Amino acid sequence: MSNLKLQHLDKIYDNNVQAVYDFNLDIDDGELIVLVGPSGCGKSTTLRMVAGLEDISAGKLIIDGKDVTSMPPKDRDIAMVFQNYALYGHMTIYENMAFSLNLRKENKNEIHQKVLAAAEILGLTDQLNKKPNQLSGGQRQRVAMGRAIVRKPKVFLFDEPLSNLDAKLRGATRREILLLHKRLNATMIYVTHDQTEALTLADRIVCMSMGYVQQIGTPLELYDTPANLFVAGFIGLPPMNFFDVEVKNGQVVCDSFAVDLTAEEKQALKAYENKTIVLGVRPENIVEGGNITVDVFSNENLGQTTLVNGMAKNHKITCKFREWCNYKAGDTVNVSFARKHFFDKETNNAIR
Amino acid sequence: MTPDSVALIKKDRLRYSKNKLSSNLTLLAIVFNALYFVSIYKSDVGSYYYSYIIGISVVYNLLFMLIAFLASEGVKGYKLNYSYVLAALGLGQIVRIFILPIDAKNTFITLSQESQQVMHDGQFMRVCFYLIASAALCILAGITAFIKTRTLTSYEEELKQKAKGASHE
Repeated sequence: MSNLKLQHLDKIYDNNVQAVYDFNLDIDDGELIVLVGPSGCGKSTTLRMVAGLEDISAGKLIIDGKDVTSMPPKDRDIAMVFQNYALYGHMTIYENMAFSLNLRKENKNEIHQKVLAAAEILGLTDQLNKKPNQLSGGQRQRVAMGRAIVRKPKVFLFDEPLSNLDAKLRGATRREILLLHKRLNATMIYVTHDQTEALTLADRIVCMSMGYVQQIGTPLELYDTPANLFVAGFIGLPPMNFFDVEVKNGQVVCDSFAVDLTAEEKQALKAYENKTIVLGVRPENIVEGGNITVDVFSNENLGQTTLVNGMAKNHKITCKFREWCNYKAGDTVNVSFARKHFFDKETNNAIR
Repeated sequence: MTPDSVALIKKDRLRYSKNKLSSNLTLLAIVFNALYFVSIYKSDVGSYYYSYIIGISVVYNLLFMLIAFLASEGVKGYKLNYSYVLAALGLGQIVRIFILPIDAKNTFITLSQESQQVMHDGQFMRVCFYLIASAALCILAGITAFIKTRTLTSYEEELKQKAKGASHE
């Protein structure tokens, strides 16, 4: 396995559209990096640049100390797993998995051993004589992963591999990928727009928007200390509630409520006295009881938790309570904020 | 890898690969058969070929190609019976040398007051070669299919026994 350095990568298409701006990232050996962001943010383009499927307009890509920026894909020793599996329908699973090794004209007996070992890891041993159309979506995706595993590449690239699967299968396959990563201890880059996948799989997450890297950090860092409004709004489900508030006399105030600040928060917001900032509160950080009155307009029971949507005067607010609640439209509930995030109104960056 | 393990892996590979060798040999046999039947009407020999034998020959050619093609697919999937079919087809091709080609070689026809051999020596050698090649390929395909299928069957039986033994333990 190996480490990667992505240094100042830019991608500018022929029509002068820039998809990726100054992407910098060092990936350690055996690390699982997840690129996450909304559609069109440049995550798949970045992955394709690493794979060699897109030219790198500027910057350097270094794998194991070797500059591979202009190296063709076949020489980079990288395996990619696609969303649509990309399996050969007329070949058996065994033949699909052995395909790349056969192309390299490797010894047939060694190919056989590698395929069987990969099939064993992925639980595909009984499916080897079947054709792809006889397998479920999850199994097909495992075959696609198997095809990557047999090559023992330096880096595994996953381009939204679970997007074609239903919710239940997605969860199961996600756990399999995690186990696979632990078992192979391979360097992996995984692209997804699903934050649940990002949070559960990643050693580190790269959150992207509009071609720019917004934040790089562990899942907890991105969740707990988002760098800016975009990350705060993108990571977390349901998304964070935002309110424009004014800092006044140890409180943040808006037309709907006034919230006292802790000593630490006062210190952090010293420079923003009498200025408008953005207050962010995660739905799960809103607790019942307090001085903020919410007029409920919907109550969604999710089993262990309840999502309560309502209005705090002029502000829409979503609360996630840890118990089964039975609020009805028109009910009121008093809440308070257990944890707050603050963002600069002009720069959108977090205030700490 | 030790020689024993290599032999074992080779056997195990049979479980996941088709018998392409036998299948391809059979397809090649069909090609040689086609070469045979397109090259027997080499010279203009009046009405010699207008007989029931050539009718049977045409029908046999069609049957041969059909059966050989089915057999090529059969042996690809390690079906033992098709190896016998291929051997029979091969023998049939040998027998065919002694029907039409020999008869044509030994027959002289008078055309424009000139005696002509229906199939001269060069053509005879050529059609014989095509039939022999077709026969050899069929028989070879049959033999390899037989060996591979028996090897696979016994190996699978061995695995079943092992699995049974393991479940009893």
